[in-house]
Amino acid sequence: MTQGLQAIVDGILIGGVYAIVSSGLSLVFGIMGVVNFAHAEFLMVGMFVAYFAWAILGLDPLIGSLIALVVVFLAGAGLQRTLIRPILKAPPVAQIFLTVGLMFTLENGALLLFGADYRSVVTSYQTESLHLGGIIVSMPYLFAFLMSVISGGLLWAFMRYSRTGRAMRATAQDPMAAKLVGINTDRMHQIAFGLGVGLTAFGGAVILPYLTVYPTVGSQYVVLMFTVVVLGGLGSVAGAVVGGLAVGVIQALSALVFPMQLQNLVLFVVFIAVLALRPSGLLKGASA
Amino acid sequence: MSLSSSLGNAGTPSLRTLPCRPVLLIAAALGMAGLVPLGLDPQGYTLRVLTLTLLFAAMAQSWNIVGGLANQISLGHAGFFGIGAYTSTILLRDLGVSPWLGMIAGMGLAGLAAAILSVPTFRLKGHYFALVTLAFGEVMRVIANSWSSVTGGPVGISVPFAPNSLWMFQYNTVRPYYYVSLIALVLVSVVFWRIKTGALGYRLRAIKENPDAAEVIGIDTYRAKLMAGLVSAVLTAALGTVYAQFSYFFDPDTIFGVASISVRMALIAIVGGVSLTFGPIVGAFFIIPLEEISNAALAGRAAGLSAFVYGALLIAIILVKPQGLLALFGDLYKRLRKESSR
Amino acid sequence: MSKSAEDQRSSSLVVSRRTILAGTGAALAMPFIARQGMAAAKDVNVGVVVPLSGANAQFGINSRNAIQLVADEINAAGGIKSLGGAKLNLIIADSTSTPTTAATVAQRMISQNSVVAVLGAFASSLTLAISEVTERRGIPLLTMSFSDVLTERGFKNVFQVVSKGSTLGRAQFDYSVALAKASGETIGKVAIMYEDTAYGTSQAEGLRQAAKAAGIAVVLDEAYPLGVTDATPLINKLRSSGAQLVFPVSYLNDSILIVRTMRQQGLDIPTIGGAAGYVIPDFRKALADLGDGVLSISPANYDQAPELTERFRKRFGYFMVHEAIEHAALTGVLASALENAKSTAPDALRAALLGATFDQGWASVMTGGSVRFDETGHNKNAYPVMVQWQKDELVTVYPPEAAKGKAQWSKRG
Repeated sequence: MTQGLQAIVDGILIGGVYAIVSSGLSLVFGIMGVVNFAHAEFLMVGMFVAYFAWAILGLDPLIGSLIALVVVFLAGAGLQRTLIRPILKAPPVAQIFLTVGLMFTLENGALLLFGADYRSVVTSYQTESLHLGGIIVSMPYLFAFLMSVISGGLLWAFMRYSRTGRAMRATAQDPMAAKLVGINTDRMHQIAFGLGVGLTAFGGAVILPYLTVYPTVGSQYVVLMFTVVVLGGLGSVAGAVVGGLAVGVIQALSALVFPMQLQNLVLFVVFIAVLALRPSGLLKGASA
Repeated sequence: MSLSSSLGNAGTPSLRTLPCRPVLLIAAALGMAGLVPLGLDPQGYTLRVLTLTLLFAAMAQSWNIVGGLANQISLGHAGFFGIGAYTSTILLRDLGVSPWLGMIAGMGLAGLAAAILSVPTFRLKGHYFALVTLAFGEVMRVIANSWSSVTGGPVGISVPFAPNSLWMFQYNTVRPYYYVSLIALVLVSVVFWRIKTGALGYRLRAIKENPDAAEVIGIDTYRAKLMAGLVSAVLTAALGTVYAQFSYFFDPDTIFGVASISVRMALIAIVGGVSLTFGPIVGAFFIIPLEEISNAALAGRAAGLSAFVYGALLIAIILVKPQGLLALFGDLYKRLRKESSR
Repeated sequence: MSKSAEDQRSSSLVVSRRTILAGTGAALAMPFIARQGMAAAKDVNVGVVVPLSGANAQFGINSRNAIQLVADEINAAGGIKSLGGAKLNLIIADSTSTPTTAATVAQRMISQNSVVAVLGAFASSLTLAISEVTERRGIPLLTMSFSDVLTERGFKNVFQVVSKGSTLGRAQFDYSVALAKASGETIGKVAIMYEDTAYGTSQAEGLRQAAKAAGIAVVLDEAYPLGVTDATPLINKLRSSGAQLVFPVSYLNDSILIVRTMRQQGLDIPTIGGAAGYVIPDFRKALADLGDGVLSISPANYDQAPELTERFRKRFGYFMVHEAIEHAALTGVLASALENAKSTAPDALRAALLGATFDQGWASVMTGGSVRFDETGHNKNAYPVMVQWQKDELVTVYPPEAAKGKAQWSKRG
């Protein structure tokens, strides 16, 4: 019983992080219709930015995450202009492989710049935990979760109430109509891409206190992020939150029943099954 | 056929008077391809790279049936590839079955896997299809990794050493593998061309243009896609056996690799020109030597530089000519002709 | 007694055979040497295939550094004297993390650079793939990969300088039990956690065998996918298993995750790592004080031959990690073998590698102080050591004949 409860608590904590990391991917697809296979690499970039903010400026990664957000937002907006915009109207094939090329470039660019070392930060709360009646809540996970919840809430408010957010949603729903009412859809795409990769970088920074950063760290998250966004409905940011929490809890609970080795297998089977049983529902999610 | 007609449309009299010229060209290229190994070290590096190029061209051609003709971008063909490699190797290791028979068994299993996979995927399009197939490849990898008693698990599996026997499909030198790969490429290309120009090809094209309209005029879209998927999977599995016999050793991460197999197969077809008969061949002769040259020239200098350059070139190709190299060559050819006619 | 006599006899036999072979080699090479007498001695090309990109890049770079250091030293001291002062010329290439590419690279070196031997390739899967090429071309492959399979396939050209994975696993277990006993603790329940790779599974198999032989219960025996994003479920299982000791076999990322999550949950049972992630400077740097006192098995350690390994630290700024030590030893062995063979012909080189004991220069940096390959190509003088993080250094604490410090077997919180 305690074990099950513990697993659910752990699953929710890690799932919150999966949610914020994946919502960026979902945002990019929802607004631009591009599936970004390089997206997980921006998690790595965010982790590196937060690492250097810690190593050089002495900033805690939780604060460094804001720097990561800003830096990667700007970089993403630049990349959108140079690489993504030319292929917006291209067939999915070209989009997929441009982002695959970007993935290789980012991963190996990091290797060239920073070397292959594994880097990690030291913080005071790293090994702290709360004990609540037999349930253990580890502090770095809790902090990462809280940061994700706050940023998720801000994103939701931004998309719903701000002028830019509303314009972005309009661009997603009908780019032609958005243009007619005077929205600069090009600019919206740029903001969406920057924000999408920025959020993922932010997510990478907040998990740095309990993980290590190295050039290939992103590859651990590629399939995971896609599972999250597909479970929640590709393109839906709210769906990514549901999907993130679901994946976190499924991972934690499946570890109780199955060997850890099969953790990903369970995830993939759920993923394929959802698409098999509810393809219409998910396809509907995509058009929204 | 399609090539000759498209060249004919270009309106050069010299070409129109020679309608069989593409056939002659192909025959000449094949003859050359058959003679090349005789001038090379039978165990050498150049021959090995050429063999891998032909093998990957054949793999990309199999992918082209699904990814090009049926317009479904699979990122999980490593799943079928690995089924072929594992089936023949396990049968050989445990029962001493000839890899040729093991190849047939592997093709059967891959067909079965493709049929099962078609149930959740047949209605999916574009990115969704890509993602499910990506997950399929990963599922196969995890199974091979965990099912150690049969597959050998993460330690990998070695092909028992029994060189120089046609029946056991094993040779001490690279040369026979070169010819096997060349024959495989020709066979897969013929299958591709027959499908493309045959009834199935027309049906697939109709579905590609407008799926709803295709349904209305009575095309069984599920059946057409399933057929393309089955043929592609079965051919990929057969090539998996060739690969296993050529490399003698493989492990789950290699054979079910997302970047090293699944993405590469698709990449080669796309770089060359998707859904064109000669696309994968041009792509393979560009990509595989490029990987080799960049590795040879750059890897000693800075870690990661060669892979970085590889990624940057990929981006450049897609930005400059998303339709692939063949289209790029076509443009250049046209421009040259214009210049010369002036 | 009789055994050592036999050893002596066989080694003298080998020496004589080697002399003959070398003699023939020299006779065959005569015209070339005569011609070369005028010009400078021809360089000897040595292939180095290690991962320089991908997840294992760090280990490949460490290995390359060590090989470069040893080759530079040998060249500065006049090269291979029996070959007229020929210099070792390293042909370095990236194996990537794909076995096919690694094999292609090896083939390239053999046919285009005429390398006399290949060093590499860190990961067992890469080395296995390369060995299929080198065996067919009859070129010696010198490796520090752990896999048991490497030297158990009857290949004639594979030389493995380290203890095999299963040996490491058994030592990891037996040494730990011995250390616990010495501090008055009786071990009844242990846990094994390992990454599901070739390295993890073969070492876990050794741990399992040793536990069975010792009659000690394995209360948790769990493989996990390499590069987990969350170790919490694993540590939850460990906590409820009631194990007194845990043997994690993992690379750095997972090592750090495992140790940190254990400490978060207040789990302070002794942790005895399985080399890889537990014996590199980044482990200590990442965990700071948490890493202090962590034990690990290791196939070699730098405090065994400080006069050599300090040169590495001086040039590269970090202590000589085990893969660097092993590759340095291999380079030293190769140089000595070339010296003895007086030829670069593969057969002469193979004969020079087999049977002889290499205990000069860098060849002596391995555990046991020397390298001697048996007929399967395995270095039978190597044995694993138990190391412990004490301050910022890795100190060998077991077995007693190799120990440089006392083990601190105390529970920590």
